[in-house]
Amino acid sequence: MTEKNRMAPYMRRYTIRIILFMAAYVVILTSSLFFARNGAPHSQATLIGLALITAFPVIGVFWAIFRLLVETDDEYQRLLFAKQTLLATAITLVIVTVWQFLQVYDVVSTGPQWMGVIWFGALGIAGPFVRWKA
Amino acid sequence: MKNRLKVLRAERDWNQQDLADALGVSRQSVNAIETGKYDPSLPLAFRIADLFGLPIEAIFLRD
Repeated sequence: MTEKNRMAPYMRRYTIRIILFMAAYVVILTSSLFFARNGAPHSQATLIGLALITAFPVIGVFWAIFRLLVETDDEYQRLLFAKQTLLATAITLVIVTVWQFLQVYDVVSTGPQWMGVIWFGALGIAGPFVRWKA
Repeated sequence: MKNRLKVLRAERDWNQQDLADALGVSRQSVNAIETGKYDPSLPLAFRIADLFGLPIEAIFLRD
């Protein structure tokens, strides 16, 4: 038998999806912001539409991550991915809970925001923790 | 759970990647099973047993 170092099909699909959604996000975000901040004032319906369109690729990234859990046919790798997403969720909940109480006690003026971004960051932090010595 | 994967692999002169390729899993998964960090599911245990031509209990041992 020969050594193979090619990417697993489920990982290749995941990578392609992430690249496509992130590329769409950059294009949609920049063009939507440009449209929203230029020209005549826009209607509420238009702004809601822009918000939904901009959120779409981010939701797509969430879908791609959870699709990875479904499509991973290597059970040990699936376990590691599941642990990673659970740890990311736990980290996010800790951050937003503390942030929320900081707002309750008037330490900060605004409560938790950009929780999706916090979760993505936590997912990045959780990866090495889960895979360390795995 | 203890197992004889490393010995069985060595008898066939396979490295972890060879076994991983034969089973359709990652080398990291083979390593986790070999070192007892992860106990495989019954379907994977049967695939391992079939690959070596042995019953499951001849590969995986009670602690």
